Amino acid sequence: MLTKADKWLIVVLVIFALSGIGLNIYYISGESSQARSVVITVDGQITKTFPLRQGYAGEFRIGGYNGFNVVEYKDGRVRIKEADCPDQICVQSGWISIPPQQIVCLPYRVVIKIISDNSTDVDDIVR
Amino acid sequence: MSKTKRLVLLALLVAMAAALHVLESQLPIPMPVPGVKLGLANIISLLAILMLGWQEAVYVAVARVLLGSLFGGSLLGPAFVMSMGGALASIFIMVYICNNYEGVFSLVGVSLVGAAVHNITQVILAALLVHSAGLLWYLPYLLLFAVPTGLFTGLAANYCLAKSPAKYGFKN
Repeated sequence: MLTKADKWLIVVLVIFALSGIGLNIYYISGESSQARSVVITVDGQITKTFPLRQGYAGEFRIGGYNGFNVVEYKDGRVRIKEADCPDQICVQSGWISIPPQQIVCLPYRVVIKIISDNSTDVDDIVR
Repeated sequence: MSKTKRLVLLALLVAMAAALHVLESQLPIPMPVPGVKLGLANIISLLAILMLGWQEAVYVAVARVLLGSLFGGSLLGPAFVMSMGGALASIFIMVYICNNYEGVFSLVGVSLVGAAVHNITQVILAALLVHSAGLLWYLPYLLLFAVPTGLFTGLAANYCLAKSPAKYGFKN
């Protein structure tokens, strides 16, 4: 049922995906020991930046376009604890702690990103 | 196929695609990567290309996203923009492959390309929507899942076509 071209297509897709994932994991592991910060942007505008340290905990609410996201940080990790968006993908993303991990709430255009304080973050160079 | 039959078949395909679109957004399948979907409506897009031709397939895709978003409550929101962009990009690439590489790729291959292009378009649209190039890191994860989901929809379309009356088997 599968033609030769189909099988090559599958192989190419899997190799591309796995190498991309490998690159991502390599990138993450290289940055894990450095000091890092959380950057929250709403609709492309940076609305809040704070350092992510062990022993600090708390939560706050950010208003997106017309709803809210509750951001919780604890033990050097951050997550969206609660949101009133329809898909809840941001809440299901869970905790993040290592650059360049990020949580995205598409309906409210909120991006929560971990960046390294030594600023080797590729996105910042690109921007 | 008479004009009336074509119209009825087109309407049926739109209805099925819209129903699958809504059903899929309600399915609580736990996916390891947020945002991964099965792409059930793509089955109908593939059938539309083969049964009716490329123009009708584009109609089905556009009508499906409009109706599905209307029923699902995401009309004209960011999710709608992503659905429409992904659906249009994948239907055009699938039509192109069906027309130019007939016999090279099977229906499963066409479905795989459609799934991959759907994901690529959606990630780019999402990155534009939130103004963050870092979102492109999701792409490899999504493409990895595009392989099993593309296989699934392609095989499903194959079985549907095999079970449908022979006179609907090919264009015109």
